[in-house]
Amino acid sequence: MSAITYEHLIVERQGPVGWLINNRPDVRNAMNSSMRDEFADAWTELDNDPNVRVIVHTGEGRDFQTGVDVSELASDGVGMERYRQSMEDFDVHFTSWHQGVWKPVITAVNGICCGGGFHWVADADIVIAASDAQFFDPHTSVGQVVAIEAIALMKKMPVEAVMRMAFMGKYERMTAERAYELGMISEVVAPEKLRQRAQELGETIAKNSPAAMAATKKALWGALEAGLTDACKEGAKHLVSMWGHPDQNEGPAAFAEKRDPQWAPLNPES
Amino acid sequence: MSFETVDVWVEGAVGWLIFNRPESGNAINAQMFLDLEAAWAQLEADDTVRVIVNTGNGGAFQTGLDVRQLAKDKEALRASSRQTRDFELRMTSWHCGVTKPVLAAVNGTCAGGGLHFVADADIVVASNTATFLDPHVSVGQVSAFETIGLLKKAPMESVSRMALLGAHERMTAERAYQLGVVSELTEPEELRTRAASMAAEIAQHDPTQLAALKAMMWSALEKP
Repeated sequence: MSAITYEHLIVERQGPVGWLINNRPDVRNAMNSSMRDEFADAWTELDNDPNVRVIVHTGEGRDFQTGVDVSELASDGVGMERYRQSMEDFDVHFTSWHQGVWKPVITAVNGICCGGGFHWVADADIVIAASDAQFFDPHTSVGQVVAIEAIALMKKMPVEAVMRMAFMGKYERMTAERAYELGMISEVVAPEKLRQRAQELGETIAKNSPAAMAATKKALWGALEAGLTDACKEGAKHLVSMWGHPDQNEGPAAFAEKRDPQWAPLNPES
Repeated sequence: MSFETVDVWVEGAVGWLIFNRPESGNAINAQMFLDLEAAWAQLEADDTVRVIVNTGNGGAFQTGLDVRQLAKDKEALRASSRQTRDFELRMTSWHCGVTKPVLAAVNGTCAGGGLHFVADADIVVASNTATFLDPHVSVGQVSAFETIGLLKKAPMESVSRMALLGAHERMTAERAYQLGVVSELTEPEELRTRAASMAAEIAQHDPTQLAALKAMMWSALEKP
């Protein structure tokens, strides 16, 4: 049960998996000002819930996400200014990375993911997609600069593909199959099976040590900020942070006794 | 000099470093921990060696630290812990500052710490039966160095997936090839022959130039 009421998102729990679902299907899940605020709350709510071990993010309706709701931004007199200011300061809070979520995040792309929708592809740990998913970045076609989401993607996959999307704008779409070939996503699923598969993946990942996964995630994301040797030195700190943790005994013990490990709960403050 | 846990020999211009604890999936025990550093140093110092091939005996390529064995040897455990904490590992060619081209030939399962030797090689070929996994988080351990090395060289999502799924999923040789983690797949029985012929071809090049090229390319990974 969700402690907060959301207008533009659905926040649910299914076993150890927390679901965050974009819920403005009538506007292809485009993000308006209040949805933006709700994202910040929803990530934090799921991150702080000790029963949630893995978070899945997907979209309601035909599409995953299509970026900022430009019509609202342009018309309400406040949205555009607020949007500009937050981008200038890079003071944004709508993805798990922005919010410092160290639980594993799976993005399950249904339908179209375009423009700002790439934020949640770039900032997830694992991305799967429906076989009919399509990816494109129309920023340049409407006189906008693509920046943050493309920068993150370039760090994570072949650069040429990201540049091509940026320059081709609305005139070309990348298929799920191509995204898989490029390693932007790791699995293509029949559209009707997408959520089921994401839940399965989430439950599988939930079998692993929450504390070890959080430290691993910090080491890996930290590596995008540094060169190889420095990243390894930073990674060593995260690695050593687990020494003495009960999970380090529980893991081998459970393995030897052929039983499921009983991991210590993840402390949301850590 | 010969070693208990690794086979080292030279054939023409090619030096071979072969993990040799097949009964334990070639996992690194206290002795291999020492042998690896000495073996890389020996091949680096041997002027007849121009290229090094790294592979494993038996069904597995390399399955990481043999923690049970290591725990029995307090001194080795302390050394390993210190090297980990300070990131002063001496297991791979990169750790040991090898300047010659290193070709990893992945002959089977490559798990956990085994991924070090894939991340730190210059060229990686694999048997089409090889599999890759990172079980650290399934036994309460953090995955850091190996996966950091890999994500600097391959699409990150696939590396994060491997790190977070732990023991519960294996990447196939075919997928590793698609992602560019490895550049060639062979039939299992042809792996060493192919690695040897590639190494011999690389060895045709000027060794000074190869060393300069290697240093330059690895230093490019040191930029954020």
